[in-house]
Amino acid sequence: MLVGVSVLVFALVHLVPGDPVRLALGTRFSQESYDALRERSGLDQPLLVQYFTWAGRALTGDLGVSFRTGEPVTLLILERLPATLLLAGAAIVVALLIAVPLGTVSALRPRTLLDRAATVVSQAGISIPDFWMGIVFILLFAGTLGWLPTGGYVSPADDPAGFLQRLVMPAVVTGVVSGSVLTRFVRSSVLEARGADHVRTAEAKGLGTRVVLSWHVLRNALLPLVTVTGVQLAYLLSGVVVVEIVFSWPGLGQLALQAVQSRDYPVLQGAVLLFALTFLVVNLVVDLLYTRLDPRIRV
Amino acid sequence: MTDHSARTLVRRQAAGTSRRAGALAATAAAALVLAACSGGGEGVDTGAGGGAGGGDGSGGTLVAAVSAQPDQLDPHVTSAYASFQVLENVYDTLVVPSPEDLVMEPSLATGWETSEDGLTWTFTLREGVTFHDGSDLDAADVVYSFNRIIDEELNPSFRFADVASVEEGDGGTVVITLTQPTPNLLALIGSYKGLAILPEGAAEDYDLTTEAVGTGPFALESSDASGTVLAAYPDYWDGAPTVDGVEFRYITEPAAALTALQTGEVQWTDNVPPQQVEALESDDAVELATVESVDYWYFSMNYDVPPFDDPAVRRAIATAVDREAVAEAATFGAGQANQTAIPQGSFYASDYAPYPSDTEAAIAILEEAGVQTPIQMGLMVTDELPASVTAAQVVAAQLEPIGVEVSIQTEDFATWLDRQSQGDFDAFLLSWLGNIDPFDFYQSQHITDGASNYQGYSNPEVDALLEEAAVETDEDARKALYDEASAIIVDDASYVYLYNPDVVQAWAPGLSGYTIRADRAINFEQVELP
Amino acid sequence: MSADPAGADAAGDATPAAPMRPERPRWRETLGLLARNPTAVVAAGVITLVVLVAVFDDLVAPTDGLGVSIPDRLLPPSLAHPFGTDELGRDVLSRVVLGASVSLRVGLVAVGISLLVGTTTGLVAGFYGRWVDDVLMRVMDMLFAFPAVLLAIAVLAVLGPGTTNATIAIGVVYIPIFARVTRSSVLSVREEVYVRASRSVGAGDLRLLVRHVLPNAAPPVIVQTSVSLAFAVLSEAALSFLGLGTQPPSPSWGLMLAEGRGFIQVAWWMSVFPGLAIFLLVLSFNLLGDGLRDVLDPRQRTAMGGGR
Repeated sequence: MLVGVSVLVFALVHLVPGDPVRLALGTRFSQESYDALRERSGLDQPLLVQYFTWAGRALTGDLGVSFRTGEPVTLLILERLPATLLLAGAAIVVALLIAVPLGTVSALRPRTLLDRAATVVSQAGISIPDFWMGIVFILLFAGTLGWLPTGGYVSPADDPAGFLQRLVMPAVVTGVVSGSVLTRFVRSSVLEARGADHVRTAEAKGLGTRVVLSWHVLRNALLPLVTVTGVQLAYLLSGVVVVEIVFSWPGLGQLALQAVQSRDYPVLQGAVLLFALTFLVVNLVVDLLYTRLDPRIRV
Repeated sequence: MTDHSARTLVRRQAAGTSRRAGALAATAAAALVLAACSGGGEGVDTGAGGGAGGGDGSGGTLVAAVSAQPDQLDPHVTSAYASFQVLENVYDTLVVPSPEDLVMEPSLATGWETSEDGLTWTFTLREGVTFHDGSDLDAADVVYSFNRIIDEELNPSFRFADVASVEEGDGGTVVITLTQPTPNLLALIGSYKGLAILPEGAAEDYDLTTEAVGTGPFALESSDASGTVLAAYPDYWDGAPTVDGVEFRYITEPAAALTALQTGEVQWTDNVPPQQVEALESDDAVELATVESVDYWYFSMNYDVPPFDDPAVRRAIATAVDREAVAEAATFGAGQANQTAIPQGSFYASDYAPYPSDTEAAIAILEEAGVQTPIQMGLMVTDELPASVTAAQVVAAQLEPIGVEVSIQTEDFATWLDRQSQGDFDAFLLSWLGNIDPFDFYQSQHITDGASNYQGYSNPEVDALLEEAAVETDEDARKALYDEASAIIVDDASYVYLYNPDVVQAWAPGLSGYTIRADRAINFEQVELP
Repeated sequence: MSADPAGADAAGDATPAAPMRPERPRWRETLGLLARNPTAVVAAGVITLVVLVAVFDDLVAPTDGLGVSIPDRLLPPSLAHPFGTDELGRDVLSRVVLGASVSLRVGLVAVGISLLVGTTTGLVAGFYGRWVDDVLMRVMDMLFAFPAVLLAIAVLAVLGPGTTNATIAIGVVYIPIFARVTRSSVLSVREEVYVRASRSVGAGDLRLLVRHVLPNAAPPVIVQTSVSLAFAVLSEAALSFLGLGTQPPSPSWGLMLAEGRGFIQVAWWMSVFPGLAIFLLVLSFNLLGDGLRDVLDPRQRTAMGGGR
């Protein structure tokens, strides 16, 4: 799978028009310096050779050197990874804070006005283009109200309060998108769980709705939520490109976009490979968690 | 100032304000400016009056919002404007353009002498200059720096095309020997920080892509994806800066950058979209400054693609375009329409303006030449420069009535460069930025097979005039040659010139000691916080 | 089907039997159920309205939305220009009206591409299983693991920018979701008695696929279609934000929103009206999808992926 992704990444990256050497050299350069840089970057080699050289090094953790900055790709990615992980993590928290209450309320009173309202609210979040929501947030919360900084990033180790202040807006904008997906899911899981035999039995035994809900329903309903949350997390890691740009959040999405624009092949290949890897790992972890949490699957 | 000897030739390479991180050096160009009657810089109160700064180190940190992260910090390698915004404050050059009028003046070199034949230049170095690592500046450092550019053919190496050698002379001087008289040598070696002086052996001792060791007012403290931090260099030869340091933050969205300025998060930004100028003029929370730049906008048609090889078609198109409307739409008043390249405030400006902005006249030209309409024209623009997209829409609307159907093609800059160099376009609309010398306004763009002559223009008459002007040392004679050449270029519509934009920047009220400059160089040496 | 008492646990039981039966899903009942969901009805109404506006845009729009007039620029909403004018003096109302067909076309064609390619892939993979399944789904997973925005950008860089190419790029991005959804539905019906029965009486693969498997795999695909339409419209906006979508001066909602964001402090109307239009259309697709899901796919097999 990873091999497949690496081939795909490599092929796509090299299909894209735009000459990285010309971009790196600016507008004035001699044929000699052009050829020299091409040779130094290995771009004069046949594509197949380039691929195997790159893949071989990648196996040892060496993703090459950025055309644009000359820095090792591994370093560039590691520098950006914490920002993106923290943002994605915070966004998931926001998403769950939205999804669990809204979804549960919906499911308890299905097809009522309350349910409809909750659905519309949760869907509204996913229906606004995120760059637009981001800009409106900046103007409102940073500008008019002056509650939060406009964007940027400080390390949580250096300045925890400043970090949290800067995290709020991008996390909310990203979180509402996942939130509406998860709300939908929570609603149907809770509905399904309520319909399950043991819950019906419990209700028949006269246990109060509240007790039944909290114990029997929620536990079972929220189990599958782990899976979906995991998948969402994997999405977020690679899906926050636009939000990162709007909020000047120095994460991987920003890096990858810069790499596309400057045809920085090594960085782009490295970043996408990492996205794919994360995707796989998250899927794997989710599978394992699910097996542990769900007694029916345990052998 | 009308003293001709004060006029100095300046070449400069820079990139425009780009709205996105990862912006590339858009275009590079060069030109010649004069001391006299230049557009100059709109000075802010310079506080200490240009001499030694305060230097007590209690001035606080200036936070500046710029639109992009430096791609890398090696001054001889990068071509990105975002990098030079930082490097301007870290490195020095032998000579520098003065902030007010871009005349070359002493910096690391305190003086220079030219031999009779004009082929040998001897520079005297300033005493007591130290690099940020503590070592002293000497001639070997200058020789090393220039030879590094020449030998490794780094980005500014074209500036040394007529340089035979750079050597250490008697008494610690630096001697530059030329192959032909080069009246604009000072500008070639000093107009921007791509010609920075590094300590000898710096490329071996430091990783210059991420480290910096200059002689400038600020030393690099850190640079990463969230910002670049500079600290005042206490031993700076011109006195330590007043502020303790400068922090550059990258804010791509103009709305966010302005909000950050209004709320006091940052004290300076150049990420100001032109449409905000009017609103900001009445905003007490923001000090707004504009100055006529040395940039120009134009569009150009491909001589290899019929019917654009037909002079009548090009002339009709140049006649139909309403430059005032284009300038107004793209700059909201922060720009002046122009039918030639050089801004009207400049000594080298020409008042040649043959095109009437007349739709009927344009139709008549096409009919007279028997040109078949409608003509399809793909007009290439780049989203790196949003103004190009706006200008293209206005041009498209103006060409429609004469039977030219324009389809706008927005490309990312990488693809744009590719298509441009392969001649894969009907027409493109872009700007040349940071020009000062008429050589750089006209030479490589219009001389036959010139490096930037992507449109494929060739006129022997123009070639001869440009060649002659390049080595002419008399300023008035030089201006006459360029006037003549540019008139032919305009008549042939090799470029259809549109307008010269202003530089627009904004800062916190009460900030002083900063000068907005026509060449877009950003220097915080003498800045004082409110 | 009998009347469904309000508050009953209907969602779980609405049509769970559908995939078990050899006949096609009961469309009339499905529609009947849907009609009882007021949000879905309103959503369908909004979508119909947008479609009507798009079809008759020449009649609805006051101007052609292309006339540049610098003196008339950035006029606030008034009787002459109910939605104001933009930075080139063009009528925003006209551009919003004319942009409807662009946004709809991008949505429909892009989803059409993903639907066609993705569903076919999913059908084949799920039906034949084994190595065919392995190979096809690995390819889909690879596309899936590739970040959506970056994939679209890369596809656009290869094809060149523009509405048509943006449509294709968006279509490519959503192929794997359709493949996954279809495949899992196919897997659930493949071993059903009626399919085995048909096979044992000698029905050909194609006939099996078209007559039995496809109809029963359809409900989640339909739900996914509605949800994907919403994403496709948003994706067009995001690509326009990055300058790669619809080319000016053509009015598309995404492009207007992207252009207008630079004017939000001086001319809010430039971006608020196209933004509102996007919001209403996308919300409607989402709510309709939600309604359809309740009715057609109560077990939520539809992909849970967001992925703008």
